[in-house]
Amino acid sequence: MKVKVLRQLYPGSEPYWEEFDYDGPSENSIAGVIDYINFRDDIVTSDGKKTTRIGWECACLQGMCGACAMVINGIPSLACETFVRDIEGDEIEIRPLRKFPVVHDLLTDRTCIQESLKKASIYIEKYDPASEDHEHQYLAAKCLKCGLCLEVCPNYSTGRKFYGAAFANDCYLVSSRNKDKSKEIQKEYGKHFGNACSKSMSCMDVCPVGIPTLATIGKLNRGKFK
Amino acid sequence: MKNVLIIGSGISGMSCAVNCAEKGMHVILASPFPSERAQSVMAAGGINAVLEDNEEDDTVESHIKDTLKGGAYLAGEESVRGLCEGAGKIIKYLEDIGTVFSLDDKGRPAHRAFGGQSHKRTYYCGASTGKQIVTALNMEVRRFETAGLIERRLGMCFHSGLIKDGICYGAILYGESTNKLEAVYADAVVMATGGQNVLFGKTTGSTQCDGYAAGKLFEQGAVLKNLEFIQYHPTTMETAQKRMLISEAVRGEGGRLFYLDENNERVYFMENKYGPEGNLQTRDVVSREIYETGKDVYLDISFLDRKTIFARLPEVYELCLKYRNIDITREPIPVAPSVHFFMGGLAVKNDHETSIRNLYAVGECASIYHGANRLGGNSLLAAVYGGGVAADAITRREDGEKILFEDVLKKEQEKLTQAADTESTFAYAHIRDDVAKIMQENLGIVRDEKSLIDGMEQIDFYIKSAGQIKYDNSVLQYFNYSLPGILILARAVLTCARFRKESRGSHNRKEFTEIEAGFSYPTLISYDNGNYSVRLDKEGEYES
Repeated sequence: MKVKVLRQLYPGSEPYWEEFDYDGPSENSIAGVIDYINFRDDIVTSDGKKTTRIGWECACLQGMCGACAMVINGIPSLACETFVRDIEGDEIEIRPLRKFPVVHDLLTDRTCIQESLKKASIYIEKYDPASEDHEHQYLAAKCLKCGLCLEVCPNYSTGRKFYGAAFANDCYLVSSRNKDKSKEIQKEYGKHFGNACSKSMSCMDVCPVGIPTLATIGKLNRGKFK
Repeated sequence: MKNVLIIGSGISGMSCAVNCAEKGMHVILASPFPSERAQSVMAAGGINAVLEDNEEDDTVESHIKDTLKGGAYLAGEESVRGLCEGAGKIIKYLEDIGTVFSLDDKGRPAHRAFGGQSHKRTYYCGASTGKQIVTALNMEVRRFETAGLIERRLGMCFHSGLIKDGICYGAILYGESTNKLEAVYADAVVMATGGQNVLFGKTTGSTQCDGYAAGKLFEQGAVLKNLEFIQYHPTTMETAQKRMLISEAVRGEGGRLFYLDENNERVYFMENKYGPEGNLQTRDVVSREIYETGKDVYLDISFLDRKTIFARLPEVYELCLKYRNIDITREPIPVAPSVHFFMGGLAVKNDHETSIRNLYAVGECASIYHGANRLGGNSLLAAVYGGGVAADAITRREDGEKILFEDVLKKEQEKLTQAADTESTFAYAHIRDDVAKIMQENLGIVRDEKSLIDGMEQIDFYIKSAGQIKYDNSVLQYFNYSLPGILILARAVLTCARFRKESRGSHNRKEFTEIEAGFSYPTLISYDNGNYSVRLDKEGEYES
């Protein structure tokens, strides 16, 4: 199997493709494939050229932390939850998330997700709940801030104005857990999400924890948190 | 205004940061990753507390008793008392900041039974208690960030403490994006860097918890404690990259442990030895028994009907199918014990200060509440509680003098630059992998003198050569410079395990199978220029 990886030495440098041979087990996840390629003294490409280890990041390796988000065969995915056995064809194409600045190879700087939430003061502060759906709140609070929803979103580009689904779901969590803040949150939601989302809902297709963003939008658009 | 540097942004680090900010201190919260990547998000089970809605006969005294007993009476009673007495307030606090607890019939946070405890007192948030607490605390950190009291520094790794004559003045951090070292000065430094998973390679925990900070600070004079006490989870499943934890809920629902004999017949060894409830024995007992079979062991739940499995064990069903293509409704799960939690770490007094003045430690990197074995549901509690205790202590501390370490910083930067000036591709990962093999083979569930000595000799070999190794520039410099600290910590763990000639809690010695009264004290270990000195804390130096 061929593994094509879009590499980049440092922020701002020119990206380039490298191809590797993979003859490891099909039960491996893509995280396992990268480790398999990386774990040797001499890393060589398919055409025998010596190269460097592929940069990437991981922590939990079981879909709970969101560190290993990347684009695998065109689909924004977590590397630890995507398996060789499920890949169609005999090539795996891996590239970093495109909506975030690349730090090195598959490592991207996703701090803008946290920054947007900070700028808009999205925090609960005091639990004073509206009568809302507990299951929905539980799922919204599971958001990994991995960035997959932003990568796939047709409306999200630089994160300067439109903050995307990760932002909307935190807005819902705050509004439903502190009804006094819901008005204020509503404004921020409208400004940075509600007025620009074209509702392709592709964010829901790629969310690793299954957050029902459509329900989030419905509830925030109605704006009743009392 | 006091300045506090907190290194690590999981639950304990965030708890300390928020508590410090509430008291008007300025906090720098430094970590390589945002809090969503911390190991805290993997804590599923729950958080213990005795509240008014607990079982009628449950009391805080009973929680204290269970915690001390679970820890084989090595934890200090005063610190455990503080932890258990503070637990009720912590649940209330977590509720107040918006943690999405599972709710009972009255709409109050729900609680359930957990292993090793006399009463039902573990409060939980579905199967993601740690994650839900992280989300709530993260929002609180954000609140104080907007108020200018907490400053998050992401992409920053710990390098070393700025320590002189037993006093800490700050820390050197390594910036991943700048590839440079930076001195950060503070009135107090709080370590919240988690456990030591990397020493053992594949574990149930995060690949980011490598024990380096504890190892480096040990080298710089900090005392470590109880390193030999490592909790094994009995039922974990092998996958290509890690050991996946198979929840105790499977055994709770009737799951049966067995191996196959030479005639391919199932031997239900736990039931044979301990009776019908044998599979429900505590983690350390089940781990030891699985180890002693010397065979491949399986956990079977397939006799339950599919509906029940889907309703009660959905996460386990999904996990096994996803990572091993095993359908637990039809076939048993291959399981083996794996390293899960570290009771040992930086020795701290009851106010969470280490042996170095102004240097504190909280969460799994600190050794204080769990003695020789941790009770399920007490680690999240200790993480939240400990952060608050450390913040209180820092507030009380009078401001000291400031010393600059610019010459030290310059020297360390030069060392880093020199070691990195190479085309070498020597893989740091190979040595990390070798260390894990040595630790797994020589410091398993049951330890013996010969293999411990053998392990120490092997680690010594790597320690001698570690300083000569040129850096592999295709990985973050952190992975290179952290290697010696990890090796020294590994050596210290083996040394403590060899020193304790008894079996107690999670520490099992082949030649010394009983508890020995002479060892009824925590282990302390210090380092001085290549010498490791171990002693028992008979005077209760760290229990005050």
